[in-house]
Amino acid sequence: MQGDVFILNTQFECSMNLSVNRSDASDDKLMWQRFIAGDVDAFDYLMSSQFRVLFYYGSKFSKDKEFVKDCIQDLFLALWERRDNLSVDIAVKPYLMASLRRLMHRKYEVKARLAEDELDGQEGNFEIEFSVEQDYIEQESTLVLTQKLKKLLDELPLRQKEVVYLKFYQELDRNQISEIMEVSPQTVSNLLQIAIKHLKKHWRTEFITFFLIHLFI
Amino acid sequence: MDQYKNFGVEDFVWDQFFRQWILAPNRENDLLWNVWLAENPGSVRVVNEARQVVLSLGTKEAELSDREIRDAVNKTIARIHEPLEEDFSTFDRPIPFYRATWFQIAASVAIFIIAGLSWKSYRSQMQLASDTIQVEAPVSPPALAVRMIEKVNSGNKSILVQLEDHSEITLKPGSSIRYAEPFTGPTREVYLLGEAFFDIAKDPDRPFMVYANELVTKVLGTSFTIKAYPSSKEVTVEVKTGRVSVFAKSDPELQAKLTRRELQGIILSPNQKIIFERDVVRMEKTLVERPEIVLPKSKIPHFQFEDTPASEVFASIGNAYGIEIIYDEELLKGCPLTASLDNQPLHEKLSIICKAMEATYEVLDGQIIIHSRGCRN
Repeated sequence: MQGDVFILNTQFECSMNLSVNRSDASDDKLMWQRFIAGDVDAFDYLMSSQFRVLFYYGSKFSKDKEFVKDCIQDLFLALWERRDNLSVDIAVKPYLMASLRRLMHRKYEVKARLAEDELDGQEGNFEIEFSVEQDYIEQESTLVLTQKLKKLLDELPLRQKEVVYLKFYQELDRNQISEIMEVSPQTVSNLLQIAIKHLKKHWRTEFITFFLIHLFI
Repeated sequence: MDQYKNFGVEDFVWDQFFRQWILAPNRENDLLWNVWLAENPGSVRVVNEARQVVLSLGTKEAELSDREIRDAVNKTIARIHEPLEEDFSTFDRPIPFYRATWFQIAASVAIFIIAGLSWKSYRSQMQLASDTIQVEAPVSPPALAVRMIEKVNSGNKSILVQLEDHSEITLKPGSSIRYAEPFTGPTREVYLLGEAFFDIAKDPDRPFMVYANELVTKVLGTSFTIKAYPSSKEVTVEVKTGRVSVFAKSDPELQAKLTRRELQGIILSPNQKIIFERDVVRMEKTLVERPEIVLPKSKIPHFQFEDTPASEVFASIGNAYGIEIIYDEELLKGCPLTASLDNQPLHEKLSIICKAMEATYEVLDGQIIIHSRGCRN
């Protein structure tokens, strides 16, 4: 098992998996408290350690890399200025993700008002594409099936996709997801259930088809 | 775990507990799943396939280098240091009082919470530490009457922490240390986050160990500074007096080196400094920025030289700073020096000498090397 973790940690250039950005939540909390107390080192730590997660998440709302980076910088500056009024007791990563999402949406509204005529309809929506890292796959058949699953995931409706992403790729719980997406926890559960049910059902048909093909060849 | 018996690949792939095992295995879940698989050999094939799917299925992400992150963070930090607009008079805002109250409340709340949290995290981290250090140590862990103490300096001045063995630790702002009181077992151990100066009481039977990021520093009785901020790319150890040895936590022979009484690993003497580069896991030995004289005041010589042979000059300076100065005796034979060098720091002394002798010097591996082509006269 150890070997797997290691490989995982070295491959985050273009496809991100769960444990890559797994930082110790209790460390984050301690640093958050120091951040609120005005500690610049804690600022540095939090921003450095959360930047990649936030960047990947922010990139789902905009393809403009520099814009996403700017938003993250603005987010940390805004938090720093308001640190006297921030709650000490929060889960750092979900809080930052929710704040970034709100900030980006606000910026879009401003942008939309300023440039009414040529607003890219794509911008501001949650867009994500899944990927298959072949190195982990031993059999050709598994590869084909994984690619089918990727396709199913890519074709999910936007909000279902986002729930799946936050739940399984950011490891957030129901309440955290509901705060980020600004919907009720029940809605989160519903979306998740519909999505997973759909994925399982259609993927299972793939299995059967695949099995039958192999039977006849 | 009965429900897993009828799981297909598609069920495992979206099962949270299964994913955790695949993506973040730890001792507990690894044991659990392996036992379950041993009892349910029929599921091995399905589990194996599901594992490949979970591992390979990621999300497509734009490229982002560590360098870009660093740049963005630095840019932002530069901006928080920009002064705020100052167009309101100080009379309107009783800042010192307000700030003091706010600060006290915040600090006490923080300490309260940290104290609570630290007990929890201490237990898990001690577990970690003992995993890496005492793999097969017969010493049983201290079971009772040991308090774990955490000192956090959230103010803006250094604070002094005194340990029961009379060692003293000067903790820099934004730093914290953790240790057991009293020290039990054959060693005295302290965990550092941030920066601190250590003045350690001599006790050759109980080496003193500092764990800081990836470095372990072991001393018998001496004073030194460690900088180990979690966000920094380097960990440094600077020695003021005595000798310390430094290891990487990843050293395969760490356990043996720590338990032996003599110092091993990279040995640092006064005025030497080790820089551990965390990215590349590389250690570099060098000198502290401003080396100080290590001799007691009464024994400091006058650095007044009059037609003094180079060998004597270097011996006198090397001895005073406890640093080895390496040069070619043959080449510098005909280079007597006349100079008064009492008041300059070491590097200035060396620059003056080198100028006079038409030589250059460099710091290599914590030593000073003099390069010269000899003197003409």
